[in-house]
Amino acid sequence: MIVRTLELTRIYRLGSSCIRAVNKVNLEVDKANLVTIVGPSGSGKTTLLNLIGLNDQPTFGKVFINEEDTSLLAEEERRKIRLQNIGFVFQTFNLLPTLTALENVELPMALASVSQEAQRRRAVQLLETVELASRLQHRPKELSTGEMQRVAIARALANSPPLILADEPTGELDSGTGSEIIKLLFDLCRKQKTAVIVATHDEKMLEFADITYRIHDGSIIQD
Amino acid sequence: MFIVTIGATTSRYTTIIREMNIFFSGDIVVVAQGSIVVQAFPISGGNLPEDMVDEVKRIEGVRTAVPMLVFFGYGLEDAIQLVPTNISIGIPPERWEILAGSTPLKPDGRWPSANSSAKEVTVGPSLADQHNLALGSTIRIKNYNLTIVGILDTPSTTLARVIIMPLRLAQCVYFLTDSPWINMMVVEPEEENMEKEVVENIEANITGVKALTADERNEIIAPLLSDIETWNLGMRGMLFFLSMILVTTVAIMNVSERRRDFATLGALGASRKSIFRMVITETILIGLFGGLFGILAGTIATLFLASIYTRIPLTLFFQGLFGVVSPIFMVEILASTLIVSCVAGIIPAISAMNANISEVLRSEY
Repeated sequence: MIVRTLELTRIYRLGSSCIRAVNKVNLEVDKANLVTIVGPSGSGKTTLLNLIGLNDQPTFGKVFINEEDTSLLAEEERRKIRLQNIGFVFQTFNLLPTLTALENVELPMALASVSQEAQRRRAVQLLETVELASRLQHRPKELSTGEMQRVAIARALANSPPLILADEPTGELDSGTGSEIIKLLFDLCRKQKTAVIVATHDEKMLEFADITYRIHDGSIIQD
Repeated sequence: MFIVTIGATTSRYTTIIREMNIFFSGDIVVVAQGSIVVQAFPISGGNLPEDMVDEVKRIEGVRTAVPMLVFFGYGLEDAIQLVPTNISIGIPPERWEILAGSTPLKPDGRWPSANSSAKEVTVGPSLADQHNLALGSTIRIKNYNLTIVGILDTPSTTLARVIIMPLRLAQCVYFLTDSPWINMMVVEPEEENMEKEVVENIEANITGVKALTADERNEIIAPLLSDIETWNLGMRGMLFFLSMILVTTVAIMNVSERRRDFATLGALGASRKSIFRMVITETILIGLFGGLFGILAGTIATLFLASIYTRIPLTLFFQGLFGVVSPIFMVEILASTLIVSCVAGIIPAISAMNANISEVLRSEY
């Protein structure tokens, strides 16, 4: 298993009230699984992805990445797991505006201390794969939203992680571009045998997924 | 910029004042009671009859006394200026060395003729440069056309702006007659370490005069110099504090505008240390470029101010740029700016490093 969660729970305290954003989630994702988590806004999708991506700490429960219990790890070790094992694709792309497309893709490799030459080779190859060979030196503001999300996908794949987490990756795109992007993401992950968890409220994505979970008020059920 | 301007301007004037006390070191300066003496020269006050010099020479412990007439000029033209731009000094022709020591003259120059009717003067190099004066040029002071026969070759700030002439000529120029008045005399004691004794003897034997040793002249000016330096230090401290707040504010704004970028870096696996280093490096670069710009702007402002105060053309100040704002002062300011930036970057760097990734990413949607 790439990811396994055990009774995963996240409670937010707002004044005197408690909000159970994720409630006792048990989820298993195997190598190369394409998983979608579908639910309306505020159902807990982003919180669940942040917990699985080790960007947030659960109130209760555990996240296992490659069968390693991450609840026992220090922040620095969680960072290393994120760097080597998890790629992120965000709804608003989150490309660094001062870097070119090429540099944005090189960034995770630079953080992983990959040699400059290898970084450049891999980044060019990934950008060619997402059909942006002619946009290497463009900065995010010079790209269309579809192109930005392609750069973000290339960046997520840079360190060849076994798991990609995509939070509403088509949320900022029109439906045609959204379908292209999700197809591209799933195709690439299939080729590279990478597991993907996509959080979305777009029912059209379900046709591409191997497994679908529905989330409501923080609790999930398999479709 | 303000630190450079304030620091360079005040330190330049304190340096000039300190340098003035190099003159007549070991000798005693005698002036009229009530005269205001700045280091070696009276800047205002009464005159003394020239025959008083002979009285002083007869006093026990006195080897010799040299009469002098000193006037601070505020331009060779009639325009009013804020600070003196030249010092006219009348000295008996056989005693030029008491003021100029072994200072050489530029090629083909000579000391003025002892004959006051020749109306000859020797001037400092800075004054000559400013007014485009050469050997044979004439300058006009109080209806007298004076011919330049020598130009001193010296880096001394004071000597650079002197007009040296025979005492008789100075008396004609400034008293409009060769009346025997002077406004200071330089008294050489017979032996070293006798200055205090000689001062007591002069003040006991001659009424209406003030005799000052080099130490006493220093003591007069020391509180003023100390006040100027304290003020300078205070201003610099305050400006550094303000600049630290400014750099901190800029850095905090910079970080808060890019919270999502730092959170993204964290999500991608950047360590807290590397995010901290990134912000500190940015603030140091802001400090470095800000500091370099400030030094440049401050230096230009200092030169402009000095040019306005003295009416000396700006181009001449540019030629002696490092004399006005010393390279050591520039390096000190740059180093201080870098330290300030480094300290100012700590709070924003900690804030960026400790950003809660999930909260920041969520809040941006």
